[in-house]
Amino acid sequence: MDIEQEIRLFRTMVRIRTLEDILEKLFREGKLNGHLHTYHGQEAIAAGVMEALSEKDIIFSNHRNHGHFLARGTSPKSIISECYGRVTGTNRGRSGSMYLSDKKRGMAVASGVVGGNICVATGSALASQVKKDKAVTVSFFGDGATNIGFFHESLNMAAVWNLPIIYICENNHYGAATKKEEHQKIKRISERAAAYDMPGYTIDGTDVIKVYKKTKQVLEKVRNGGGPVLLEFLVYRLRGHSAGDLGNYRPEGEQNKWKEIHDPIKKYKKELLKMNTISSQEIKEIEEEVQEEINEAVDFAIKSDFPLSDTVTKNIYQEEEANE
Amino acid sequence: MSKSTYLEALKKALYEEMYRDESVIAYGEDITRYGFGVNKGLVEKFGKDRVRNTPISEGAIIGTAVGAAMRGMRPVVEIMFADFIMVGMDQILNQAAKINYLSNGEWSVPMVIRTPEGSRWFGGGAQHSQTVHSMFMNIPGIKIVAPSDAYDAKGLLKSAIRDNNPVLFFEHKQLYFKECEVPEEEYILPLGKAAIKKEGKDITVVATSWMVTHCMEVAEELRSKIDIEVIDPRTLIPLDKNTIISSVKKTGRLLVVDESPATGGIHAEIITAVTESEESFRYIKCPPKRIGSLDTPIPFSETLEKEVIPTKERIKREILNFFI
Repeated sequence: MDIEQEIRLFRTMVRIRTLEDILEKLFREGKLNGHLHTYHGQEAIAAGVMEALSEKDIIFSNHRNHGHFLARGTSPKSIISECYGRVTGTNRGRSGSMYLSDKKRGMAVASGVVGGNICVATGSALASQVKKDKAVTVSFFGDGATNIGFFHESLNMAAVWNLPIIYICENNHYGAATKKEEHQKIKRISERAAAYDMPGYTIDGTDVIKVYKKTKQVLEKVRNGGGPVLLEFLVYRLRGHSAGDLGNYRPEGEQNKWKEIHDPIKKYKKELLKMNTISSQEIKEIEEEVQEEINEAVDFAIKSDFPLSDTVTKNIYQEEEANE
Repeated sequence: MSKSTYLEALKKALYEEMYRDESVIAYGEDITRYGFGVNKGLVEKFGKDRVRNTPISEGAIIGTAVGAAMRGMRPVVEIMFADFIMVGMDQILNQAAKINYLSNGEWSVPMVIRTPEGSRWFGGGAQHSQTVHSMFMNIPGIKIVAPSDAYDAKGLLKSAIRDNNPVLFFEHKQLYFKECEVPEEEYILPLGKAAIKKEGKDITVVATSWMVTHCMEVAEELRSKIDIEVIDPRTLIPLDKNTIISSVKKTGRLLVVDESPATGGIHAEIITAVTESEESFRYIKCPPKRIGSLDTPIPFSETLEKEVIPTKERIKREILNFFI
């Protein structure tokens, strides 16, 4: 891993945090409609995983998706515009925050039904196997999604067929407002992989370098026919389930502990400073640049047009040849 | 021309499409060795990559078809009985039907779900005999096909496979072994075009799937008294309203016969199309009627089942009532 990569990882995490801070603020001020699920505390996963993936790989995301898209290269302008329902958004205002899509970057339409996308992602891996295109599919979901039948059906089928897919569970310890201990008895979600005779690993998801390295390591095996893998990244949702939820059903001590010790950005900043990879001045510059970028994106979104009402019935059905 | 069963016609359609386009893949539960046998013989010709038996996982069968379709495949998946399609309902309603629209046509979903529905007079009972196609009428973004004979089955399945949208293809168990003339040479039938199965001037009977067989027999039996026009819409979405409207304009009478439970069924949609059309409304001579299954679960015992499923006798009685 070179210095350039290390700094890029840091910048990506700061971009995600800054974007989410602003969206959360706008939502709470009543400027954004819909449902907004921010990525606070999970930034190292998106940054590390996307750094490891290749251009041809395909990603299926969920309702908490801004970090995945931003880290993959989707512009903050198009993400924020989508949250504002503007025609300049990733989906031209048809999605809002939850179902972003960016085909150019291999980002499938994200799903707002918990676990709903796991089967679809598995089908993408099936296509890669039949086409022998060496692309790997990544399916993101949370701890809550591992209780839904689709999780089981998909992992089982992927194992039986040896499909090129990495299932990534972002275990943030809460399924909406329900604590993990209340929604499943198993402690390590990665152990569920054993039920499918699939490798499963639990990794600190607040350590961006560990996330990157583990993903990179399993990726090449999966790409070369090694079959599916389940990665569990341990993180903590530093916010409520959605921006309208303060999350105060969680013990204060628990929140503070994670905030102080396991905030992935704070942790990585400390590490970079300790290793002299970067100076405080350089960090400050990055933070300022990012803040400016995100502010500009908000301005861009606000000034953008709404979609024309007469386009509403377009593309309910595919009107022309698409796909590869 | 030579005679072919509905089953053979479907087999031939699938075979021809798999031969023609290597992105067509077929899978489902036990498809190579059990069930009605539409997929029999395919694995020997096209291999195990493109023809697969799956675990009993309807959610994953349908969901993976969505994902594979997004990545350039044309999956033709089988659900062993139409009743079981509901296990994977989320994948149809929330994934397949939404992806093209949410991504403004960037990601499309060219897939077919084939499944046998309806009563078999065999005692399939409550969970193996239902006609469920009407429930899907309420999902913008999918197409629905229900062929009534071997000729239509072949031409429509080929169109369904070539279509760039999710298509639900409902086959009828009573029809698998019924024969009709099917050309040797290749042909396709467009989705959205009704067939006038018999011309007539006294009453328009719109019938679907197996009910077409009953209605054609009744039309023959009543030939000397009543000149019945029998129309088969062939596809429920898109629905060829124009052919039906023109027919009612001519006959002034309408009966709709479909095996779904009558409440909330396709019948009402067809009757509405005719009554809300300025073109046909003023020609209607008497109230339109519908015949569906009774609004009950389907019981096992033959005497009970024949009360529930529309019979030829019931259809004949209802038609005669128009002319009392």
